[in-house]
Amino acid sequence: MSHHLFIVSPSDSPLYSLAHYSTKPTNSVASPLSANLPSWSTSAFAGTLTALSGASSVTHHTSGGGVRMGGGQDRHVIQMIANASLDVIEDVMRKENVMYLKSVDKFNEWTVSAFVTPGNMKFLLLHEGKNDDGIKSFFIDVWELYTKTMLNPFHTAHTSIRSPVFDSRVRASAKKYL
Amino acid sequence: MAYTQPHPRLSVLSTSSLPPSADYASPTNSSTRFSLASAPSLSNTLVGSTKATSARPSIYDRNLNKTRFTEVSGSAFAFLFSEMVQYTQKRVSGIGDLERRLNTLGYRVGVRVLEMMMFRQESSSKNPKRETRLLPVLMLIHSQVWKAVFGKAADAIEKSVENADEYMIIDNDPPIERHISVPRDMSQLSCSSFTAGIVEAVLDGLGFPARVTAHNTPTTQYPTRSTILIKLDKIVLEREELMK
Repeated sequence: MSHHLFIVSPSDSPLYSLAHYSTKPTNSVASPLSANLPSWSTSAFAGTLTALSGASSVTHHTSGGGVRMGGGQDRHVIQMIANASLDVIEDVMRKENVMYLKSVDKFNEWTVSAFVTPGNMKFLLLHEGKNDDGIKSFFIDVWELYTKTMLNPFHTAHTSIRSPVFDSRVRASAKKYL
Repeated sequence: MAYTQPHPRLSVLSTSSLPPSADYASPTNSSTRFSLASAPSLSNTLVGSTKATSARPSIYDRNLNKTRFTEVSGSAFAFLFSEMVQYTQKRVSGIGDLERRLNTLGYRVGVRVLEMMMFRQESSSKNPKRETRLLPVLMLIHSQVWKAVFGKAADAIEKSVENADEYMIIDNDPPIERHISVPRDMSQLSCSSFTAGIVEAVLDGLGFPARVTAHNTPTTQYPTRSTILIKLDKIVLEREELMK
């Protein structure tokens, strides 16, 4: 089971991203569409197409003989899903007065949860299972780390976060809660 | 002799590393001060000083909720702020420009104040909240932001009678102007533009874009009384209308 965290600035530029693969068992359901999908593996956009058509558990056999994960797990697809959910988040955050917007968007096997800080910084998390409390604790941790980062006078709302300490703390928190 | 004049950089390091003693400055010892023999002690200080800085806890190790003993003294702030105003004044062409730059400096403070203040308030709550309506946000600025920055709430908050999009926050005795007397030929200048910048950042962060300016509105009782004028963006009023 994997989690993908993105920190997006108020002007929608990505500041930080993290892919976390936890060992905890996944409880996602297989998409019914996945069985009768043709093999697109030769096309460059195969991953995107299979992902968009709803196939989550299709596995491609690459020419090397190795098996890699299906289209829904591709890096660019995940980035696209995360960015697409920004529209929904901006709608919801005007109405709801909470920072943690749980399961704000869904796309195939992915659920998107978000956390909007008072300064309008958005944390997006793509996850498969349901884990509301864990995700909330994780977001609060990230919020604390982000607040500490932005206290740096050289940090602006548009500088990407490159601190190795920040990265290791976020990873540790992800290991703990996700 | 090449080493009679101590190198300025070496002298700073080596004098700080050695304990002050009476014979230290005597001419017999001074010749060995900058010889090779003193090199180990020099490198020791270097290692020692880097160790000291790395031993200092990084910001990530510090507790954000610890507010005791972290207040800054008023005189230290007054000194820093006077330097900021002087620095800015050397680089501008007029009062409007100066106020705009002070506003920008305040904005940088405001984004941090907002995030930090809300973290202290909300991080321990079960369901952290952010304000989405205008009036609570204005009240938040009037009381909490002022308390976080100046240690006291502002004195009044008023709605403009003529313009629906204007609000005013009034401080009878703004702490940042307490030690400032503006020359007569610059009487329009209000150093509270810095505060205006803080307010603008808080409003922007919470999604209420506005133009915030500061104006002197002295009374006989309060000669430094200033008004922070908030002119809200059109979209804010439209949204408030829809949310009614």
